[in-house]
Amino acid sequence: MLDFTEMVLNTSEPVYTQINKFVKRQIFLGTAKKGDPLPSRRELATQLKINPNTAQRAFRAMEEAGLVLTPKNTVSILYFDEDMMLEIQREMTADIVAEFVKKSKENKLSFDEVMTLLRQEWEKGENNEKYIKA
Amino acid sequence: MVEIEKLYFTYPNYKTVLENITFSVPTGQIVAVLGTNGAGKTTLLKLIAGLLVPDGNVQVKIGGKTPQEISGEIAFISEAGTYFNDLTPKSYGNFLQDFFPSFDSTYFDMLLDFFQLEERPIKKMSKGQKAKVEIAAGMAKRTPYIIMDEPFVGKDMFTRQDFMQALAGTLTGEETIFITTHEINEIENFVDRVIILKESHIAIDITLDELRLQGKTIQELMKETIGYQENSLCSLLDKTK
Repeated sequence: MLDFTEMVLNTSEPVYTQINKFVKRQIFLGTAKKGDPLPSRRELATQLKINPNTAQRAFRAMEEAGLVLTPKNTVSILYFDEDMMLEIQREMTADIVAEFVKKSKENKLSFDEVMTLLRQEWEKGENNEKYIKA
Repeated sequence: MVEIEKLYFTYPNYKTVLENITFSVPTGQIVAVLGTNGAGKTTLLKLIAGLLVPDGNVQVKIGGKTPQEISGEIAFISEAGTYFNDLTPKSYGNFLQDFFPSFDSTYFDMLLDFFQLEERPIKKMSKGQKAKVEIAAGMAKRTPYIIMDEPFVGKDMFTRQDFMQALAGTLTGEETIFITTHEINEIENFVDRVIILKESHIAIDITLDELRLQGKTIQELMKETIGYQENSLCSLLDKTK
């Protein structure tokens, strides 16, 4: 069962988008597997303290994206194939880079400065390597 | 669907509280009605609940009917309380069951339990406990229209969060809800739409999706709309130096 109790909602994106991203992140990290059951809409609403229509909307969005399958009269399950997994990996990585570039620009760093800092930081801790997937 | 068109409201011997209010709310939507004290929030909620009647011939329409015609389908949960002081929570529940055909006594008992309310006359309870009785009674009516006027008053942070969780878990998604509160944090991720009243008018009417597309939170929207000045107290202190 996919667990949403650890999920912290922000106030900058629509809630259903956040839920969608959270699920993709669990897939990316490997904590959610293909075929894992999802909580019911009501359970999801309770866990996140959101209104049931928002929970319903999150399910619909994930169903439309092919990420969630809801066979008749049974619980919804998680689904993704190779291509979707690659797409999720790309998305998750793009998010990190976009956020990093945005903050770098806010701090008025030049591209060259960023590259230098990045190289220094990268080479500083070899231990970090296992946390970074391409 | 709740429909309001060109609504005005004036209290006897008092200035106009609401002017030219127009909006409609589809079934199942959760609307926060916000604004400073005295902006007309409670008045608007009472008009929707049918506890007040608008000026002139304008009427609030709920599914084509007036609130008075469908009063059994509306739950009004108020900070002021609608319970009887001499009754205990359970006897109040019994009383409500006679009046509201849809009253869900199992759910009511569950909520009393959840709020850890004891069986004693409501008048002997604290402010927070009274508010809990009020909420339990209102929610257990299982009405399609729920109107909450400051439901969080007198409740600490944990109780507020517990209440939001109980609310989220018991709604079916069919209920149309209006809520006023000053506890914006509790509702940032709960409501579908925000209406801000300012000087008797609707200053802002926006869905949460649209608001977030603009990159704003409800807090920020409030500050911007009602012109809250963060350092107003400081400048006052400066003047008194």
